[in-house]
Amino acid sequence: MKRVLIIDDASTIRMYNRSILEAGGYQVEEAVNGMEGLEKALETPFDLYIVDINMPKLDGYGFLQQLRAESIDQAPAMMVSTEAAGRDKEIAYLSGANLYLVKPTKPDELIAYARLLMGEPTQ
Amino acid sequence: MALVKRTHDDNLPSEQQAGTPKTLEELQQQLQGSHPLERRQAAQDIVDHEGATALLLAQLERETSAVVRQVILTSLTRIGDRDAVFGLAECLRSEDARLRNDAIEAMKEMPDQMAEIVEELLADDDPDVRIFTVNILESLRHPHVEQWLIDVLDHDDHLNVVCTALDLMGEVGTEAAIPALQRVGSRYEDEAYVQFAADMALKRIQSSAE
Repeated sequence: MKRVLIIDDASTIRMYNRSILEAGGYQVEEAVNGMEGLEKALETPFDLYIVDINMPKLDGYGFLQQLRAESIDQAPAMMVSTEAAGRDKEIAYLSGANLYLVKPTKPDELIAYARLLMGEPTQ
Repeated sequence: MALVKRTHDDNLPSEQQAGTPKTLEELQQQLQGSHPLERRQAAQDIVDHEGATALLLAQLERETSAVVRQVILTSLTRIGDRDAVFGLAECLRSEDARLRNDAIEAMKEMPDQMAEIVEELLADDDPDVRIFTVNILESLRHPHVEQWLIDVLDHDDHLNVVCTALDLMGEVGTEAAIPALQRVGSRYEDEAYVQFAADMALKRIQSSAE
């Protein structure tokens, strides 16, 4: 079973994404900030990271930059933001994100993008 | 050629090494200096001078050192006047995500000053400013937080702002929030996340009331 790490400081978002991904057949773990995410990634790499941008201790950019720069994991990462303007899209990709989405994501959209990023059939 | 061990930083101006400048003009010059250490020192020393807020805010926008930026933010928080909180609020419009995050963290440390401008920020035309303001409410520990969130759930017309308020309401909401949570569920009945988050918040409030 493929493993997904959700890194978000909002507990409701984590629960929402977890419920969708578990229903889609994935094993899900959670982290509440980038630092905890890095610790979990160091222990065992994941197949997909779903990363919030604004978080305490270490934000989503910092998480991805360290994940990539220190070669902890090169698995695909979906960066999700609540920001309406999408002005952080460029820095998200420069930090190592494979996809940038604005929250809230619809359930079928989240599953479709997760499958796409993990190289699975989307239908 | 013999190596000479440097016992002090030759790049620092002599007055910085000899002692701290005292006048506002000297501190202003030092705040714009080329060395992060002198800028950091100036950002600390300027706090007690009248007119420091404007100088610190101007430097914050151009500051490249994370350490100096942090000291500037600490100094602005210590000053804590209306200009400081308004200046930090302007940082919420910045294209620089780190500056925005730093400003959010600093504003969380100024609950009384923030409370005076929350309603103004929640009515801002820019939905991202409203989202960041809700993020600040999370740590504000102010008695009006729940009512501000109720107002967002009832009146804000941007889904992302409403969702951010719902996340927080799930943590701080009381029975007073139940009608607003029910109304927002009806207002966004096709939005899966709104339904999920409103339902979670209602369950948490109802279970803690039992």
